[in-house]
Amino acid sequence: MQRRTFFTGAAAAVAATSVSRVAMAALPEPISQASADTAAPLLPPNGRPYHPVVTLNGWTTPWRMNAGVKEFHLVAEPVVREVAPGFFVNMWGYNGQSPGPTIEVVEGDRVRIFVTNRLPENTTIHWHGQRLPNGMDGVGGLNQPHIPPGKTYVYEFQARRPGTFMYHPHSDEMVQMAMGMMGLWITHPKGKHPLIADVQRDYAFLLSAYDVEPGAMTPRVNEMTDFNIWTFNSRAFPAITPLVARQNDRVRIRVGNLSMTNHPIHIHGHEFEVTGTDGGPTPKGSRWPEVTADVAVGQMRQVELIADEPGDWAFHCHKSHHTMGAMGHDVPTMIGIDHSGLVGKIQKIVPDYMLMGERGMGDMGAMQMPLPENTFPMMAGKGPFGAIEMGGMFTSFKVRQNLGAHDYRDPGWYQPPKGTTAYEWQGAPLASQAPRQTAPGKAPGAPSVRKPHTDAADHAHH
Amino acid sequence: MASTLTRTTTRLSPLLAALVLAGCASVAPDGLRSAVGEHTEGRLPSQATLADPSPTARAQAQQQIAAWLQQPVDADNAVRIALLNSPALEAQMAALGMQDAQRVQALTLPNPTLTLGRFVNGHEREIERQLSFGLVSLITLPWRARWQGWQMEQATLTAAQQVLLHAADTRRAWLRAVAAQQSLQTAQTMHEAAAAGGELARRMARVGNFSKLEQAQELRVQQEAAAHLARTRLNAALEREQLARLMGLWGPQAGFALPAALPPLPQAEALRGGEDAEATALRERLDLRALRRDLDTTAERHGFARVGAIFGDIGASYSRNTATERGTRHDDVTRGWELDIPLPIFDWGGAASGAARANLQRSAAQLRDTALRARSEARSHWQRYRTAYDLAQQQRSEVLPLAQFMQDEAVYRYNGMFISTWQLLAQARATAQAVATATEAQRDFWLAEVDLQLALTSTSPGATPTLATSAAPATTEQGH
Repeated sequence: MQRRTFFTGAAAAVAATSVSRVAMAALPEPISQASADTAAPLLPPNGRPYHPVVTLNGWTTPWRMNAGVKEFHLVAEPVVREVAPGFFVNMWGYNGQSPGPTIEVVEGDRVRIFVTNRLPENTTIHWHGQRLPNGMDGVGGLNQPHIPPGKTYVYEFQARRPGTFMYHPHSDEMVQMAMGMMGLWITHPKGKHPLIADVQRDYAFLLSAYDVEPGAMTPRVNEMTDFNIWTFNSRAFPAITPLVARQNDRVRIRVGNLSMTNHPIHIHGHEFEVTGTDGGPTPKGSRWPEVTADVAVGQMRQVELIADEPGDWAFHCHKSHHTMGAMGHDVPTMIGIDHSGLVGKIQKIVPDYMLMGERGMGDMGAMQMPLPENTFPMMAGKGPFGAIEMGGMFTSFKVRQNLGAHDYRDPGWYQPPKGTTAYEWQGAPLASQAPRQTAPGKAPGAPSVRKPHTDAADHAHH
Repeated sequence: MASTLTRTTTRLSPLLAALVLAGCASVAPDGLRSAVGEHTEGRLPSQATLADPSPTARAQAQQQIAAWLQQPVDADNAVRIALLNSPALEAQMAALGMQDAQRVQALTLPNPTLTLGRFVNGHEREIERQLSFGLVSLITLPWRARWQGWQMEQATLTAAQQVLLHAADTRRAWLRAVAAQQSLQTAQTMHEAAAAGGELARRMARVGNFSKLEQAQELRVQQEAAAHLARTRLNAALEREQLARLMGLWGPQAGFALPAALPPLPQAEALRGGEDAEATALRERLDLRALRRDLDTTAERHGFARVGAIFGDIGASYSRNTATERGTRHDDVTRGWELDIPLPIFDWGGAASGAARANLQRSAAQLRDTALRARSEARSHWQRYRTAYDLAQQQRSEVLPLAQFMQDEAVYRYNGMFISTWQLLAQARATAQAVATATEAQRDFWLAEVDLQLALTSTSPGATPTLATSAAPATTEQGH
């Protein structure tokens, strides 16, 4: 099992040492993160109070108060992200990780963000969803000059409305987002807000996808549709931290989508309401309960629920290929193929050949076979009842009684009360096969489509 | 009396010497096989001998060949068998024997002529006895014996080259046959794999997982593999047949076994250096030696040419004529000798001398030309040998490990369900093809080695072939 330490985030955040202190003398120290684990929520040490979020497999950056202005320092730079245990990807990110650190501020805060470019090309940052002066919106060429490599630019504006936002480059955006440049921005409400409930747990993450050839390390930035790595915050199951809640906690989950397709995010055992988008909190009258919220490309959804059902509940994207690790998309379906007499022949030329897919791909979850280096299985992750047969955009929502209010640690597998788990039927088998209802018409194997007539005479009486 | 005899003997000694020489010129009993053997010494596998046509030797040789054929025939044994058993080589050796017999015949002195005459007239009866013979052939016998000896040596050297070429041909054929057999095994494996892929595709189509088109694509791979197998099989049979022909084998003996693989490449340190190649060729090559002998003969003949042309027909005769007077019965005996000397009035031997001079020039030029070719062949065959080694070594130490790596990676990708069984099989075929290509490179090195040995120590191996492998570039099939 992989290490999941929640409270090491602050310790793991280390000052970057490679930047000249003279050059940076007037700048806030950029804080860097070396770990891809979920960091503890950062309780605000100064400024207006708020209830901090927990960034799944991410962290919140500290800030410096300077004459009443919250100062942050983001460093755009190449990073190596551990996307799954043993699977490392060359990415571009901020302050040591991709996605970059979450920025948490409070409605009305004046914010100054220093952005240092350590990439080999220009960059900018666009503050997705913010109300701000036009010159601070971060579209290179349109609102500002691009930030050249080695330069530091400053953005300054007021966080005017509460909500869930993102930041990402708007300079060679296609490449930079394909390389993982993105981060979350949370503006907490100042005091009580009629549409924003108090919650006990507040989780946030971004959806992103990469195309990394098995055995390679760098995403293919020109890919448009055929991605093979589907992630929450650039992590793939089973490496994604579970969302943990104490029973009856009110839980908010904020999801932003910076991949190139939509993701129906689905929770088991509970229903939720969408309480906010990147446009702000939704009016109460517009909220309806559901168990899947589609998060379209470039959108954010903020959902809330009462964690009243104890257990380990699946929480995932409902596009089934998105809950898979790397896999070939051109592999033909092998289900139902009789391999008798062939495996031995193939083994004559490929001695390590093993039969796969004859009964489906579920076996893959249990098989242990050598793979290309720096990749991870299509489906991995074991549960208390065996292989979970999932990978990619999948994690679990763990609801427990008697959990500490600030305890975000993985509580282990749920122990269901006796008699509440599905079980094998032990009674008599069915006496006879029920008559199968078949559609009228053709026998199996007969051609079912008639060739279109091209005869001119045929067309005459039309 | 004794002193007279001695004096007479002394006076007659050149004549006697010539007679002795002429008597000694006899046909070599082994048809010059041992003379040829001296030249091939060290240039053939140990204990390789030429066929002896005597029935007992022939039977022994057949026994020996049968024993060699009990186990897989290695290259040296193939050469030994070929030397013992090849009718073509035997024919060449017989021709050499014929040449030897002709030499002996040429050195035998013409028999003296005894002329008897009986003449009668009115008062006397005359009986003439004349013993005559060509003087020049007697006087020049020592030189002619020497020239004929040189010519025979030249013929023996030529025959030795034929033997070495036959041995080299056999060795080449052996290398080709073993390599072709190895390629055949690879082709068989590739075909089996393609057939398994084709069958799997058929079953895929049967349950509806493949379209007919997808099935046809895999079927085409199977058909290509089958055609490749047929061609490879034919090639292996032809190469083997060529070897059997050179070894003089037929019938049940032609079913000999060959080793499963070519000999491994030598270590780089064991390779022959190229620095002394030219010197070695000039020193060792038999074709150069033969031409040198030719030049010797021509040069010496050149000196005699004019004299021979003028005095070629000097004849000597001794006569004893008896005239008997009929009335008195008185015998009158006349003894004496005659010399026939042609007078150089018309032919002063200029044409003969000119022809001899031109012949000498031709011989010298031929020697120079062959020496030039020998030097060039030494260099070019050494370069080919060295390059063939580097190529074969590259195949063995770089290309094959790379192919194996790609094969392993394909298995890993198959394990991760990144590629299909058919893509995996295509990679495996590419790997098998790489093995076949490496085998060809290994064969080419050994072929180049055979040619280099010939070029350095024996004779011209013929045109220098370039290094080329027939292997098609192996590509991995990508997707469907």
